[in-house]
Amino acid sequence: MQLRKAVSAVAVATLTALLAACGGGGDSGDDKATVTMWIYPVVVDETQHRAYWSQTVDAFKAQNPNIDVKVEIFPWANRDEALTTAIAGNKGPDVVYLIPDQIPKYATAIEPMDSHLDAAAKSDYLDNVVKSVTMDNKLMGAPILTSALSLLCNKKVFAAVGQTAYPKTWDDVKAMAPAFKAKGYDMISYDGDLKTTLNVTFYPLLWQAGGDVFAADGKSVAFDQAPGVQALTFLKDMVDGGYINKGPITTTPPIEQSRLAQNKVACSWSVTPADLTKFWGKDNIQVLPPLTNAKQVTYGTVGSLVMLKGSKNKTAAAKWVNFATSAANVKTYDTASGFFSPIKSTGALYANDPVLAEAEKNTQYATVGPLQVKSRDVMGALAPEIQAALLGQKSPEQALKDAAKAANAMLG
Amino acid sequence: MTTTASARERAATTAPARKRAGARWREARPGLLLVLPAFALFVLFRFGPAIAGGVLSFTDYTIGGETEWTGLANFDRLVHDDRFWDALRVTVIYSVLAVPGSIIVALGMAMLVRRTFRGVRLFRSIFFLPVVTSLVLAGVIFSWIFSEDGPWSSLLRAVGFEGGSWLADSVLVLPALVVVSIWTRFGYGMLIILARLQDIPRELEEAAHVDGAGSWQTFRHIILPQLKPALFFLGVLETTVAFQAFDTIWVMTGGGPARASRTLVIELYEQGFRNFDQDYAATIGVALFVMTLVVALIQRLIMGRDK
Repeated sequence: MQLRKAVSAVAVATLTALLAACGGGGDSGDDKATVTMWIYPVVVDETQHRAYWSQTVDAFKAQNPNIDVKVEIFPWANRDEALTTAIAGNKGPDVVYLIPDQIPKYATAIEPMDSHLDAAAKSDYLDNVVKSVTMDNKLMGAPILTSALSLLCNKKVFAAVGQTAYPKTWDDVKAMAPAFKAKGYDMISYDGDLKTTLNVTFYPLLWQAGGDVFAADGKSVAFDQAPGVQALTFLKDMVDGGYINKGPITTTPPIEQSRLAQNKVACSWSVTPADLTKFWGKDNIQVLPPLTNAKQVTYGTVGSLVMLKGSKNKTAAAKWVNFATSAANVKTYDTASGFFSPIKSTGALYANDPVLAEAEKNTQYATVGPLQVKSRDVMGALAPEIQAALLGQKSPEQALKDAAKAANAMLG
Repeated sequence: MTTTASARERAATTAPARKRAGARWREARPGLLLVLPAFALFVLFRFGPAIAGGVLSFTDYTIGGETEWTGLANFDRLVHDDRFWDALRVTVIYSVLAVPGSIIVALGMAMLVRRTFRGVRLFRSIFFLPVVTSLVLAGVIFSWIFSEDGPWSSLLRAVGFEGGSWLADSVLVLPALVVVSIWTRFGYGMLIILARLQDIPRELEEAAHVDGAGSWQTFRHIILPQLKPALFFLGVLETTVAFQAFDTIWVMTGGGPARASRTLVIELYEQGFRNFDQDYAATIGVALFVMTLVVALIQRLIMGRDK
């Protein structure tokens, strides 16, 4: 009987503890505010990344003793799942790192920064940076970094083939490709895996051909027009000619298993110097401006600290965002992470680094891609059709026509 | 008089029955209390979200915005959505290949390791190993195996067939994924069947042999009928698993090439976390639940009829 009572008591205590835990805590009731920020491994070395934010928080705390800041570093993988779930459960952070590709989808949950950012700070942002985080004339975040994809070529491979000039145009790529193939190298790499964003694969070609994803009014897609067909035909010719390895068209292998890492590819526009340094050696990376066809353009991103509408400490969060994105902090953070500055007054960051200094120059050619609520949906319709064309199941015209039909139905 | 007597009889039988019920309740109470935390967790983290997902499918939900009740609008969209029907077709083909495949391999392996010989336990453990292997890891390894320059392609070339990546072929991608599914699942089925096999009296088989039955006849007419409950259980379980296939397919193909391996769960994931269309993703989830339930009920009916 005593045993039964004891067991019952344990069960009741467990349940009570469980329910109490699920109930969550309340506000502390004092004047102190806590700001939570979610960020991702922008600085690859986790120890270095944590140390940066720890020092920055300490410096902020010295000026704002009543505001505690918690910086939580999450992995890049599944970040949207974690964030949407947290927002839906009203447990989202006050501030989160987002890129323009994500902003339209989170727009309803974002607190515009126009009234929260210092006027001087706003006017110090590069014009294209401001444009890339503006939706419906509202500044959706405080930019902290920018990037631009360069054309990266492997000096070792070029030397092995005896090729002394680097490609500048699509025609150069087509002309050089047979020489590389003859020596067992791929001219370029292309990741057609459906999980890879088209921003770093097909869209740069589409833009270089003079095309765009959406029509000017945003009510229909434009990728099925002549420039789109030209871009996909260029890519398909490269695949059919044996100048692109077919494997990654369907499945992207881990980079260390890729031909890119094995020094079997001449050039790529989908990776960064940091991705390749370990495999090519920094001295073998030739950083070039993006390819030219009708236009010279590439994809670049703008990373921003974004305040969420659900924040219960907007004033404190705004103070923190202003501090974290100040010119001095941005300069330190971008230099540590290998990204570029979105702020005019910081100037160029990599005068002493030949690779990054070249890459930094290419920010002038960068675009962040379409700021459209349906841009990801459209990508989901287009990517499988590009695969179908590259695998020879459809002509480029038919593939783009089918993708446009599906995409326009979403926009309708 | 009769009425009074029967009332007395009822009273006489009801009082002890009440006592017995009370005693049973007192006996059961500690057990129920012990089960309660697990039940509470189940309700909170399984049942609750499932109900919430069901409710979400009747709304228009925007992240951080307002949620509007839209009735059956999402279901109307679902039945007119070509992508949904395409994903359903892929899921059905995948399940039709994967479910019997994994049960047949499990049955074969269970028959092999049923005998007792030196080292049989080691073999059983090795065959069970894929079940506890990370599906993502399995996906990465099999991606390499089925790749253009992988061992499978090399083997085919060596014996005179055309090589190439099966994952890049719209027709061969599903068989390749089914092979992975069978590899990851057969160990569990083998264990279930093995447990049942060891319950079958050896005398039955010996009697059949004495009566002149061969190995196949013994298997067909003695062993197989005894295994039916276990096989039906596996049928229901494997169908549910196949309908919910995601991890390895996502890692290996992402639903490609050209949507040839886009199952319902991949479509659900894409809608929910890529397009952020979470109410519609919930609608696909509800449809998937209903379909799985219907298949399970049909299997249950067949099982009942067979009994």
